Amino acid sequence: MTIRYGKPDVRQDTPAHTPGIQQGNAPGAYARQRGHRPDGRSRARRSTGINPKGAEPIDPRMPNLSPG
Amino acid sequence: MATTRERIAPEAGNVVDMSWDPITRIVGNLGIYTKIDFRAREVVSCKSTSSIFRGYSVFMRGKDPRDAHFITSRICGICGDNHAVCSMYAQNMAYGVKTPPLGEWIVNLGEAAEYIFDHTIFQDNLVFVDFCEQIVRATNPSVMEKAERAEAPHAHVHGYRTIADIMRAFNPFTGEVYREALVVSRVTREMCCLMEGRHVHPSTIYPGGVGTVATPTLFTDYLTRLMRTMDFVKKAVPMNDDVFDFFYEALPGYEEVGRRRVLLGCWGAFQNPAHVDYDYRNMEHWGNEMFVTPGVVVDGELLTTSLVDINLGIRILLGSSYYEDWVNEQTFVALDPLGNPVDRRHPWNQTTLPRPQRRDLTGGNYSWVMSPRWHDRRTGEHLALDTGGGPLARLWATALAGKVDTPYVKARGGAVEIMLPRTPLMPEAQLTWQIPRWSNALERDRARAYFVAYAAAMALHFVDEGLAELRNGVTKVFEDFEVPEEGIGCGFHEAVRGVLSHHLVIRDRKIANYHPYPPTPWNGSPTDSYGTLGPYEDAVTGQPIFEENGPDEFRGIDVMRAVRSFDPCLPCGVHMYLGNGKVVEQRHSPMLGAHGG
Repeated sequence: MTIRYGKPDVRQDTPAHTPGIQQGNAPGAYARQRGHRPDGRSRARRSTGINPKGAEPIDPRMPNLSPG
Repeated sequence: MATTRERIAPEAGNVVDMSWDPITRIVGNLGIYTKIDFRAREVVSCKSTSSIFRGYSVFMRGKDPRDAHFITSRICGICGDNHAVCSMYAQNMAYGVKTPPLGEWIVNLGEAAEYIFDHTIFQDNLVFVDFCEQIVRATNPSVMEKAERAEAPHAHVHGYRTIADIMRAFNPFTGEVYREALVVSRVTREMCCLMEGRHVHPSTIYPGGVGTVATPTLFTDYLTRLMRTMDFVKKAVPMNDDVFDFFYEALPGYEEVGRRRVLLGCWGAFQNPAHVDYDYRNMEHWGNEMFVTPGVVVDGELLTTSLVDINLGIRILLGSSYYEDWVNEQTFVALDPLGNPVDRRHPWNQTTLPRPQRRDLTGGNYSWVMSPRWHDRRTGEHLALDTGGGPLARLWATALAGKVDTPYVKARGGAVEIMLPRTPLMPEAQLTWQIPRWSNALERDRARAYFVAYAAAMALHFVDEGLAELRNGVTKVFEDFEVPEEGIGCGFHEAVRGVLSHHLVIRDRKIANYHPYPPTPWNGSPTDSYGTLGPYEDAVTGQPIFEENGPDEFRGIDVMRAVRSFDPCLPCGVHMYLGNGKVVEQRHSPMLGAHGG
């Protein structure tokens, strides 16, 4: 049995700085990241994808601290 | 390491050529060539040379500017993170992006750890080798005898009854202070790694912010290490005071060793996120809000604290360096963003044109280092500023400016006050650094110990501020940005051993010109086109010799103390050439062992 894979869109050695390649610093990168709020705070979704709502602080006034 | 040496034309009388090449750790590229008059017991002349070409300014051209901090970090293997941070500052200006406050506190914490680490390993494991019992006994036996009888004034703090006891603790490999400092340097490197991902080439420092995930554990892990380090710092400062005060007493006139006119430059460190926006037009304001104040101190007077003045005053001169002049090359930046004219000799407009040639110490070119100078608009002079090894200029400028006011560090009344709270083994301590009478070897070394305390106290403030952000739920540590088609930037920072600036020009979204100016080119520069000596040359020329050995057994300890006081990175090997053709090879490579290197 072989592993099936699709046709690549780009050559694997295309440099990250080639126009058209998505860049971490590009405007909108912060907003696209899940769990990051526009005011600089975050939700539990930032730290986990597994039932994040259940990992929010029990009181909404409490800060959402990253696990660590 | 080469053992053949160029002969300097011999002179009549008792003048003997004495050379040390290489003298530093930086790929063994610094050589000091002196003529010493043993009858007058004085250094007659001194030349500072570099035999290695780095070429960062050449190969950075055409690269993506976002890579600049990763590449320039590799300039140095001991303070690479200072370069990464300085490059990040320059890029932030060019991209028009501001790091979020929490990211800025994380950078400051990483840099504070770097200062504590690097100053400690250099001072306790390398500078103190020049002041240890073994060396002092070999070079000045009479001083060792005095040290045996001299009670240490702060014995109740550090626990060593006499100065000789302290000197024994400085002995490499066996001394207590030497070994304890190695532990401290490991712990402080861990602190740097927590904040910047790696030491010495950070993996989480980027333009626009950091990649460090800010968690309460991050700060508490840092804090516990910091508190342990403070135990050591509280003992180290009074111990340094005792030793250096003893040298003034035991060897009257020792203040002349490494002494030069007070010509100090400090480019400021630790950004204040409440003020910094990386906009050149506001640079004077946010530069003045830094937690180490930038400044140029000439003859004890603070000429400016403005980073704009500092930037525009920088001139890169030739005169004794292996380069073609770039007067016929293009001007990249004619006017700064405030409309001020930018000189052709400013790093923004510099084009590096290397011209390898034979070293000529008799009036020709003799170094790969150029001659950075600072143009004093009042007098038109091109001042050969030095960094005082870093801490001396930092403390001097900060003390005179009187702008720093934090819970643990305050600059007031021409002094810097440092408050260290109670730590596991030591009670709280208040240290005060006073502006010294001289800019000399001992004061450069003394200031280093005080700056370790300064950085530790500042780190406490940064931890407080970082945790306060976190308690408010703030986790944002980076900001998006776009690389502009064209732009310029400059970053001003303090590498551990002094001034550091990166100057960047972007065209077509690529680097068109990039010039880093670290401290050693300032300190180790050769004689410039106006005939002004570089700082090492100036400090050593004319200095008296206190060593009791004659020419045959000469160790050159006073010259070594003078040059090493500038912290020319970490000295690892010393080759000494005596004028009569005899070559003495001595090594002390504490990190590599007796057979290392």
